Amino acid sequence: MKILVVDDSKAMRMIVVRTLRQAGFNGHDVVEAENGKEGLEKTRELKPDLVLSDWNMPEMTGIEFLKALRGSGDSTPFCFVTSEGSEEMRAMASAAGALGLIAKPFTDDAFRDTLGSVVTS
Amino acid sequence: MTTFEALAEAQDELDAIVIDVLGSVLDEEAAPAYTELPDGPMAWARLAIHDAADDSFTVAEVRVGIALARVLAGRMMYVADPGDEDVLDAVAELGNICAGNVKSLVCQDARLSLPTAGIGSGLESLSGAAVRVRAVVLGHLVELAVTPGASIEGLDWPPTAVDEELETQR
Repeated sequence: MKILVVDDSKAMRMIVVRTLRQAGFNGHDVVEAENGKEGLEKTRELKPDLVLSDWNMPEMTGIEFLKALRGSGDSTPFCFVTSEGSEEMRAMASAAGALGLIAKPFTDDAFRDTLGSVVTS
Repeated sequence: MTTFEALAEAQDELDAIVIDVLGSVLDEEAAPAYTELPDGPMAWARLAIHDAADDSFTVAEVRVGIALARVLAGRMMYVADPGDEDVLDAVAELGNICAGNVKSLVCQDARLSLPTAGIGSGLESLSGAAVRVRAVVLGHLVELAVTPGASIEGLDWPPTAVDEELETQR
């Protein structure tokens, strides 16, 4: 599988990649983007099997990224990994077509529980 | 109830946020602390929360001694000798996670700024009454100060695009 990790923090992108491995999701190609705009471009160019995206980013936020993807008919599985895990944001994510929202700080279990249906071990 | 009163009542939850975040990013046990931060070079990150309900701003700031900040950056980014850029990135993300959790704790219909981070000595406290919590991890102190009504000067905000604008990117 090809997994696109989108976050404006390099440190957090590295933690997400590490947590994917710790959750047992090994051997996947991981590509990275620094904001929603770059994420949108890389999704169109590289056709990932899964997008893991932060919400709060410069240039284009995660929710705008997801809405632009879905608006263009792209149904790539999309999950938020964000510091804001309120019920309102979870509802907004779901309504926009996200498969879930993993709130930071997170655990390996949160990755397994949320992504287990779309990522192979 | 004012935002300050709500934060003061939620002090235990603020303690838990700092301890959980440090435990997660450092993979070390952290504990509440009640001593002042020592003098000396610090790395800091600052974000604002805009509460749409009353159009108010609350600023969350994380301060970490530079020695711990370098450990934090090294562990988050798998580098033995992190540079200042790495330290700023790591501390900004630490602040972002703390502020995002504070936002979820005290207000729902709110917007979070992007983090601003820096390294230096003698950083002045933000004006206004702050609710402060501290934690100790690896023998170093970390402080989270949450200040309703503090200045938001110098902070950047994520873009807001309406659906019609997104149409043009299809």
